Amino acid sequence: MNCPSCAEPLSPGAAFCEACGTPVGAAAPAAPAAAADVAAEAAPFDLTTATAVPGRAAPGAVRPCLQCGGAVGPDGYCESCGSKQPSERDHFGEAPADWVAGVCDRGIRHSRNEDAMALFATGDRAVLVVLDGVSNTDDSHLASLAGARAARDALVVPLPSGMGTADSRAAAVTRTFAAAVDGAQKAIVALTPEGSAQPPSATFSAVVVEGRTGAGGARLHVANIGDSRSYWLPDAGAGVQLTVDDSVAQVQIAAGASRKEAEQGPQGHAITRWLGIDAPDLAPRVASLDVTGPGWVLNCSDGLWNYASEPQELTDQVAAAATSDPQALALALVAFANGRGGQDNITAVLARIDAPAGAPADPGAADPGHNAATADEGETDG
Amino acid sequence: MAEFDATVYQNEFLPDGGTDVNAIVTVTCTGAGSAVTSGGGASAGEIIIVDTSGSMGPSTMAAARQAASTAVGEILDGVWFAVIAGSDRAMLAYPPVSSGPGMVRMSAQTRAEAQDAISRFVGSGGTAMSTWLDLAGQLFSSVEGVTQRHAILLTDGENREDAGKLDTAIQRATGYFQCDCRGAGTDWQVEEVRRISQALLGTVDIIPTPETMVEQFRAMMQASMSRGVADAQLRVWTPQGAQILFVRQVAPTVEDLTTRRTDVNPLTGAYPTGAWADESRDYHVGVRVAAKAIGQEQLAARVQLAIGDDVITQALVKATWSGDSELTAKIDQQVAHYTGQTELAEMIQEGLAAKAAGDEATATTKLGRAVQLAAATGNDEATSKLRKVVDVDDEREGTVRLKRAVAKADEMALDTASTKTTRIKK
Repeated sequence: MNCPSCAEPLSPGAAFCEACGTPVGAAAPAAPAAAADVAAEAAPFDLTTATAVPGRAAPGAVRPCLQCGGAVGPDGYCESCGSKQPSERDHFGEAPADWVAGVCDRGIRHSRNEDAMALFATGDRAVLVVLDGVSNTDDSHLASLAGARAARDALVVPLPSGMGTADSRAAAVTRTFAAAVDGAQKAIVALTPEGSAQPPSATFSAVVVEGRTGAGGARLHVANIGDSRSYWLPDAGAGVQLTVDDSVAQVQIAAGASRKEAEQGPQGHAITRWLGIDAPDLAPRVASLDVTGPGWVLNCSDGLWNYASEPQELTDQVAAAATSDPQALALALVAFANGRGGQDNITAVLARIDAPAGAPADPGAADPGHNAATADEGETDG
Repeated sequence: MAEFDATVYQNEFLPDGGTDVNAIVTVTCTGAGSAVTSGGGASAGEIIIVDTSGSMGPSTMAAARQAASTAVGEILDGVWFAVIAGSDRAMLAYPPVSSGPGMVRMSAQTRAEAQDAISRFVGSGGTAMSTWLDLAGQLFSSVEGVTQRHAILLTDGENREDAGKLDTAIQRATGYFQCDCRGAGTDWQVEEVRRISQALLGTVDIIPTPETMVEQFRAMMQASMSRGVADAQLRVWTPQGAQILFVRQVAPTVEDLTTRRTDVNPLTGAYPTGAWADESRDYHVGVRVAAKAIGQEQLAARVQLAIGDDVITQALVKATWSGDSELTAKIDQQVAHYTGQTELAEMIQEGLAAKAAGDEATATTKLGRAVQLAAATGNDEATSKLRKVVDVDDEREGTVRLKRAVAKADEMALDTASTKTTRIKK
């Protein structure tokens, strides 16, 4: 069976086309409901020009218009500028500290937001978790959010440091990430409908930033399963992709195909590993990197990197946004992806790493080849 | 209690850079009841205004007496009413009072008394319509609690007053009472009487021969008696920075409401719609919004029906920008239909005006276009009325010749019917 909209092959029993997001089969709308809650409808919110800061409203309260800050009518549209308002799940932001923020957005083509994120930050330390729910599975929007929060909670406690050897510390980090993956996996499995033919599943990408205020720079620990990615994007110098995708495209790249060719090919978005009751295995790829600011740590779903896969392309977008506010930058990156078509759900989570106090900015940034303490089969391909 | 329902017909897809949103909103009223059941302590008032100037010939006067009498017969018991005899001044023919409330409630007795008063109408004097409208306004205001105010005006001649007097009287009456107008014979001015009926949310028509007068009056009064919703407003909300291009009623007749807006708040305007029976009316709303990027959606208008301060129903007019030209090129069938019907009304009126001014070339072009539009939109009534005024060479191309001998009544009938529209199946 092929997608009626874009003719891409569909997985058996798929509810949505993985390529273009068109609802198919049972998920395809039969007839528009008369009194529709527009916030639940499949239509885009104008985020390319959004100026208002997203945030979480008090339960039961109606958020102000994300476009202009005006009041939102019971019909789901702004009473001032007429912008359609997304539901809380379709567009939300978090900013646990002034240097850490993220925006999670439905994008334009998908009918719901199956991406999820969960953040934690203190002055010195941050946890950035992104899960991308697989769109042809049941309730993956619920599962991904529960999974992200469970993983974040498992990472709130500082990672082991300062004791033992580098190898033993790396092993301890790997164990902590494994615990975070386990927490996410349990949360997803708990939300799996009994007898589900398409059990919910999700990618996993977590970044732990430690020692941000330390004189020697910060240490980034990353872990991932699937094709959500983290990047280090210094203000000057070359950025690097910290994660390696578990995807068909990555296999093809490893076999010599060009990145562009592989990622845009027919199987470009097929992932080879994921979280969920039908997950093949649950060992995350783990890596770490010591960085010296100033620069940005980015954790994102493929809804963003689809439009800027190479670190340099992302660096260009960060520079274009010209802001030092992580919330503004997250919004700008989401707006960039929506402006390019918003084919998938979009999540952009950022942490700002400043230059060490008193130290000049290091334009050379870090070379992952030397600094990355790799574990498992993880290796950076930056 | 009356219920309202609003439905939108539009193509919400705009091309890249597109700014103009067109929508037809059909508002349907059910359970309106009647003029006596409008409830809430409110009550209906009817005033019949009959031209009793010297120009009314004996047969027209006789028909007018009979028609007015029939109309009085149709007024439901309990409804406040009065009868005005109009010439160069307005005279309260019934009830016979000179102070206090100038209207009485309908009953068997008052009906007989009013019909007796009407039977004594004789024609004399001139025509000063401003005084007729002003007296009607005074009578309505003399009775407390009459909130649904409707008048029927019959004339047979041109207004003989200084320019501007009638217009200021129309202004005083606008928004206060509604008025259906009928012209007997062919010595009255369609344009003049239509100014009254349009401002006062009524209809205008010609009664070419006295025989049909009774039926027209009966129908007008029955229609008025079936209106159980005293006064409703159409409200149009548009987003900040948007511009309302026009708001028109397009069915059952074309009435441009654009300039009749009163602000509810900076983003919402109210347009008068008068009283409602069980009926459905179509409105064409044109809004210009700032273009957004492909894929984005926004609300271009909320079209609401309000009674007093209560919004009873609402329809949403949307705009979605799309790069798919198959989506954006489509013009909604309803929008296309009514755009044609609106142009048809304009072409008929402008064509007849040009013809009257002796500009045959313009008249031929405009009436030719009218023939084309009437055929294309399936307006058979307009087509048959046009064919009495022009000879049609090619309906599809709109090639016509002005008839050399045209009955004045046919021209006036075409003019008064120009705003009537047909519907298409939905």
